[in-house]
Amino acid sequence: MTEKPGPEDTTLDAPTHSALKRLVVSLADSKRLMGIRYSDWLLGAPSIETGIAASSMAQDEWGHARLLYAMLKDLGADPLEAEHTRPMEAYASVDVLDAPFGDWAAVVAGMVLADGAITVALDAFCKGSFDPACSRIPKMLAEEEFHRSLGDAWYRRLAGCGSTEATELLRGATERMLPPLLRWLAADDQIEALATAGFTAPGDAQVAAFRDAVRDVVAGVGVDVDAVRIREDAWDPSRGRGPGHPDADAVERARGDRNRALFVE
Amino acid sequence: MHEHVYDVFARKSRGDPLAHIGYVDALDDETARVYAWKTYDEEHWFEMCVVRRSAIIPVNREDGPFAGGGSEKP
Repeated sequence: MTEKPGPEDTTLDAPTHSALKRLVVSLADSKRLMGIRYSDWLLGAPSIETGIAASSMAQDEWGHARLLYAMLKDLGADPLEAEHTRPMEAYASVDVLDAPFGDWAAVVAGMVLADGAITVALDAFCKGSFDPACSRIPKMLAEEEFHRSLGDAWYRRLAGCGSTEATELLRGATERMLPPLLRWLAADDQIEALATAGFTAPGDAQVAAFRDAVRDVVAGVGVDVDAVRIREDAWDPSRGRGPGHPDADAVERARGDRNRALFVE
Repeated sequence: MHEHVYDVFARKSRGDPLAHIGYVDALDDETARVYAWKTYDEEHWFEMCVVRRSAIIPVNREDGPFAGGGSEKP
């Protein structure tokens, strides 16, 4: 049986250790930003119940982020530093969360696609051999089942409501989000090295899992996910994402800048 | 888009009676599931379920909250 790395593990070579740390930060940052994007819709969602669900999902995402940042400790890094001190240029969250969702259709697309892609990456990490991921991620995936249910239901409802405007907004958001998300999941040599070492699944397997997960839903607005090409433009290997970063307001909220004086650990 | 009223029932422990704990307005069964779970999350429920109010058949009252074919809220 393969030895699983844990808190005392010193067997990882430097490139694998670095790639594992990048994966954890990427997932944690994505969760934190996903939570912020949900929180933008606590008020202003189409119904009170939807606002409450957005609030709950925002809390879920921040809880997941906290658990993921804590895994850095298992890799010899300081979670507090990662959570509270990094500049926005260091954030490794998935590109499509860099700016707020402009309308409810974009929130729904984000729920299905961005949250869905993060869940695929988490699932792959959970099934790997990094002990902290194996033990902490299953509960996240159980909570994500509700996010997916809500996203799929809303997506299908908007796609079939007969409103050309709703369909167009949803299709536009879908077409904007899919290429960078596929690129993020396809990843790069570092993910392939982690896959070879047994810590996660290869990029092509994650892309296939994502396409399977969203194929039927996005077909509702006429998008063929199998025909969407993976974006092949600039890539920042140090963060495992494209160039750019989340907006300053989101990062200030993510870091808790305005409450720094009241910070309690 | 038309919403329906769904009544929410839950029990805290396996042996508890299923209790009516509230309702949600939802587009369909799937959103009702999520809204109920996310809205009434103050307890660690052993079991929760939702029923579309229009599916409830009143037995002894025609003026109760469940007698309006799903439109009346308690």
